[in-house]
Amino acid sequence: APAGPGKKITARLKRTLPVRGPQAPTLSELMRWYCLNTNTHGCRRIVVSRGRLRRLLWIVLTLSAVGLILWQCAELLMNYYSASVSVTVQFQKLPFPAVTICNINPYKYSAMKEYLSELDKETKKALETFYGFSEGKSKVRRSVDDWNSTGSDFFQHIPLLKVEDFSRTATDLHTGQKRKIEGSVFHKDSSIVNSGDSNNIIGFQLCDANNSSDCALYTFSSGVNAIQEWYKLHYMNIMAQIPLETKEKLSYSADDLLLTCFFDGLSCDKRHFTRFHHPLHGNCYTFNSGENGTILSTSTGGSEYGLQVVLYIDEAEYNPFLVTSSGAKIIVHDQNEYPFIEDIGTEIEPAAATSIGMHFTRSRKLSKPYSDCTETGADIPVENLYNKSYSLQICLHSCFQKAMVDSCGCAQYAQPLPAGAEYCNYKKNPNWMYCYYRLHEKFVKEQLGCQQICKDACSFKEWALTTSIAQWPSIVSEDWMLRVLSWDKGQKLNKKLNKTDLANLMVFYKDLNERFISENPANTLVILLSNFGGQLGLWMSCSVVCVIEIVEVFFIDSLSIVLRRQWQKAKKWWRNRQQGSPGKAPQAGDPERQGHDNPVCIDEDLPTFTTALRLPLPQNSPLPRTPPPNYSTLRLETAFTEQLPDTLELDRH
Amino acid sequence: MNLKKYLVRALHRLQKGPGYTYKELLVWYCDNTNTHGPKRIIKEGPKKKLMWFFLTLLFASLVFWQWGILINTYLSYNVTSSLSIGFKTMKFPAVTVCNANPFKYSEVKPLLKELDRLIEAALERILQPGNSSEDESPPLDLELWNQIPLVLIDEHDKDNPVILDIFETNQTAVGNDTNVNNGTAGDNETMGNKTMNDFGAKPTCSHQGSDNCTYRNFSSAAQAVTEWYILQSTSILSKVPLHERIRMGYQAEDMILACLYGAEPCNYKNFTQIYHPDHGNCYIFNWGMDEEALNSSNPGAEFGLKLILDISQQDYIPYLSSAAGARLMLHQQKSFPFLKDQGIYAMAGTETSIGVLVDELERMGYPYSDCTMNGSDVPVKNLYSQYNTSYSIQACLRSCFQNHMVEICGCGHYMFPLPEGVTYCNNEDNPGWAYCYSSLRSSIKQRQICIDSCKETCNDTQYKMTISMADWPSEASEDWIFHILSYERDMSTNVTLDRNGVIKLNIYFQEYNYRTISESAATTIVWLLSSLGGQFGFWMGGSVLCLIEFGEIIIDSVWITIINIIGWCKGLKQRRARARYPDAPPTVSELVEAHTNLGFQHEAPGAVPRAGELPPEPGTPPPNYDSLRVRPPDTLGPDSNRDTE
Repeated sequence: APAGPGKKITARLKRTLPVRGPQAPTLSELMRWYCLNTNTHGCRRIVVSRGRLRRLLWIVLTLSAVGLILWQCAELLMNYYSASVSVTVQFQKLPFPAVTICNINPYKYSAMKEYLSELDKETKKALETFYGFSEGKSKVRRSVDDWNSTGSDFFQHIPLLKVEDFSRTATDLHTGQKRKIEGSVFHKDSSIVNSGDSNNIIGFQLCDANNSSDCALYTFSSGVNAIQEWYKLHYMNIMAQIPLETKEKLSYSADDLLLTCFFDGLSCDKRHFTRFHHPLHGNCYTFNSGENGTILSTSTGGSEYGLQVVLYIDEAEYNPFLVTSSGAKIIVHDQNEYPFIEDIGTEIEPAAATSIGMHFTRSRKLSKPYSDCTETGADIPVENLYNKSYSLQICLHSCFQKAMVDSCGCAQYAQPLPAGAEYCNYKKNPNWMYCYYRLHEKFVKEQLGCQQICKDACSFKEWALTTSIAQWPSIVSEDWMLRVLSWDKGQKLNKKLNKTDLANLMVFYKDLNERFISENPANTLVILLSNFGGQLGLWMSCSVVCVIEIVEVFFIDSLSIVLRRQWQKAKKWWRNRQQGSPGKAPQAGDPERQGHDNPVCIDEDLPTFTTALRLPLPQNSPLPRTPPPNYSTLRLETAFTEQLPDTLELDRH
Repeated sequence: MNLKKYLVRALHRLQKGPGYTYKELLVWYCDNTNTHGPKRIIKEGPKKKLMWFFLTLLFASLVFWQWGILINTYLSYNVTSSLSIGFKTMKFPAVTVCNANPFKYSEVKPLLKELDRLIEAALERILQPGNSSEDESPPLDLELWNQIPLVLIDEHDKDNPVILDIFETNQTAVGNDTNVNNGTAGDNETMGNKTMNDFGAKPTCSHQGSDNCTYRNFSSAAQAVTEWYILQSTSILSKVPLHERIRMGYQAEDMILACLYGAEPCNYKNFTQIYHPDHGNCYIFNWGMDEEALNSSNPGAEFGLKLILDISQQDYIPYLSSAAGARLMLHQQKSFPFLKDQGIYAMAGTETSIGVLVDELERMGYPYSDCTMNGSDVPVKNLYSQYNTSYSIQACLRSCFQNHMVEICGCGHYMFPLPEGVTYCNNEDNPGWAYCYSSLRSSIKQRQICIDSCKETCNDTQYKMTISMADWPSEASEDWIFHILSYERDMSTNVTLDRNGVIKLNIYFQEYNYRTISESAATTIVWLLSSLGGQFGFWMGGSVLCLIEFGEIIIDSVWITIINIIGWCKGLKQRRARARYPDAPPTVSELVEAHTNLGFQHEAPGAVPRAGELPPEPGTPPPNYDSLRVRPPDTLGPDSNRDTE
């Protein structure tokens, strides 16, 4: 065996694939060759056209076609990340959402008495001093227990003030002294305040404890707002000191709140509700919270098949200063969502039947790179303080709480605690209120950067509510209804219920159509390429092949031609230097070699059978032959008039 | 023989084709095709030839792959939605108004007298269990009671709940054959302060006197009483003929006191009466059944519908409906109002303003989405078609339920329309219907069957309402308003209306009155073709003509194959014919040789020296034209590997 198959193949390849350079000797020849042979349309016209004007026209046209292609393709590329919206409606069994119900009043007033008596006294005194309002009873009581100033220490730090704006003096509630106001004045609701007759503005002053000259005065156009705001401030101070278990006991129990419950034609009771403690609304109860692993679903729409509850509002236990409206608040939300009842709750009127029809919509956005939203919230650098799935609201609240803990050293009462922090109260953090108000102002003005960090969630569920109210109980049924409900409530409640203590609530699906709005990528790679192809084809009848051709001709071939030229120049120069005499310049094309013998010119030869088939010429033809007649008329006009010796040399091997 | 002739003629025709062999054909194709790749294969040197060959192959496969994707996308029938919002002149929705209470109590009192006395006595016993001694003057008719009694269930002992009939003092322990429907079984720790845990379980037995009973229990007495009363009154009222029931309900002239549409006055005669099982007589404005639907071309309350209604709350049936108000609903023309699902309440003594936004969803039917245009392809018989109304999913679900009810219980439920030849259920004719109904109603399987068999409509129109309320009439104006309204209605100067009865309604279009989401096919055939063309053009610069070219080549190659086969067959035949002579036929030169050279012997075929070894022949050298040159037997090309074997 002389040689292995590998060698044989290599030899074969060498024989069949002789190394050849670009066929054109010069760049202009190459261009001409390219234009004549390329598949794109405009180029050929340039070469073929006669007349300067026409040629120029074709050059312009071709170039503008190229420009158009580039522009359109760039446009296509830029619009690649766009989304189209599709809406699907599906009729199906729907999961019933979680319904969280709170009493508007957070804690039973009678139970809170021991914590709030100081504050209430202070408030009443303020009411009397500033507005001359007095309850008949409180007058008597005050004379008895004569302002013991043991616990009211901190009230004096932040007293209510009556401000005389023009003189910038304020009257203190306690001392009655007038004092000069330093620092800046903030109008809490400045759009309403009329600075013309701001004679009797009530407000309160918050000072930096470390630097008492740095104060902010918050004023309100109405005493109602001022007193409520001031009360809330102190209320939060007090509540922050009470542990959670105690607070839960102080608030309403499920038995207190829920009188009757009916879901999907079946009776339900408090075990279908999960308690959830809300810092501002006390104990709230979530129906169908999914905590025990099962989520109820509805397979029939209509008011009979939804949730029907009768709520006991218990207006007698309302805190007169904290809440001024009565009723309940409900929110319909997903089981994984945190109910932001103070922000987006719906209020329920007592002595009425509120019917809430729901319509379910699910939306999904495409995340990056289509839009700036987050799927899970994991990519947001804000720790989720709520034990629920991500939402924009959660992020903003968490972000604010974090900023609060960082700058004030304690956590705000209305939001959950971060690890290792505790709620602000006046005893431990005397400075917190000032700090909080400053921070909150910054937050609202978007200076904390929370609004920039937090992104909205990509998918969300929404229940559109249609709320309507009917009188309940009706006049004729009121009598028996209240009697039976009082009996239901049990013996411990001795009085007969009043209808203003009750609220009837119906939450149901109007229809079982689920609307799903989703964004889909408008373009896929396939479509993008198709569009490219369309553009290329429309303007120039071009394809990827043309692009490769262009790369091949304009870059590789041109480069090699240039290199070859340089190489020859260098060689020539070297030879000249060595010989010391101007050597015979290489002739441009041996006439003998210009015929069919020259492989380079094969293309331009008469299309004989062999050349048409691109069959290689036998290198060593055994047949002797007559030299071909050297008539120039017989010769075809070749594309390449000049032939470099280098190409010939290469061919000889 | 005809066929042979034909074939021969075809062969002759083919000889004008591009080539006689596959290779010729291929080369010809590559040179002349309009697709970009193949031309390159033959244009340049062997190295590039190879490169372009693979490139072309690669691009061709890319094109086919992408075509596959595109066709797949097309066949998935995606849709795109377009949203339009604005104001345009639109048909004003049909407005259905009903009273929350179905019948005037004064009219139905004779029918419900026994039932009311019964429930009053029962309530008395519940609320004051001690003094049950007082005797009613006429004895209670306990027949109704005995069919479906109200009971108290004491579940202190979870395993042996004690059941106490309200009118009987003896306690019965629940046996094994009865089944407490424990939706809400009490929790002893927290409810321990009550003597009764669960109240008002209502046993419904399949047969009178049989032991097969189910207790439906309620955690609240109020619920239990209401449900019990509804069940009983349903049974009583189902026996009353329809015209009688209509008479007992609220009449249009009593209920609709004033009506104004835009600037045009209207009255109760413009309303179409319809009997609704839940709410009695309902009146529909602008239903579009008899006359053309009204258009509204202006937004705002001034151009909408203004109604003043009287619900006469004093005449409510006390135990039947505890909520008082008007029930109203906006819906499309010629559709049945399903008030329980889509209706809203309007409170007495208030003015309720309803701003309307028409939310339309126009979908494409099959195969884009699974919806039905008119319900004709849904396998459920639409019972609401007797009202001459169009198909809707609610109608389908209710019809489905009613059909099941008729099938299983043998009678129709009072709340839904009847199929032909069936009567409504009542306690006398169908003693077990309540049991049958409640088991059917709570059956999840039945609901699922209905959900699966009903399809939503393709054009879904919803009326999004913005509801706001104010007190009406104001204290200052109420005197004269009540006076005038009473005078107009009753032609008397006595005031017969009060705050608890009157309702003012304003229904109007909002500033933007429509929001239409319409679907269009994301992929049309035009899209598909242009994408296919784009792909083909992008990779190979090809078009449909190129495909035709390719097809032509395939046909040509088939012909070449046929020619080859025929040639081979002929050769075979010839060889067979020649087989009689062992040697090859002598050539001319041999014959000449044999003729001139006597010593000539035929040589064995293998012994013939190769052409190269032959001494050069004398004579004029042949002209060196390519066309004259004999084609070398082994050349390069796709089939050149043959000579390596």
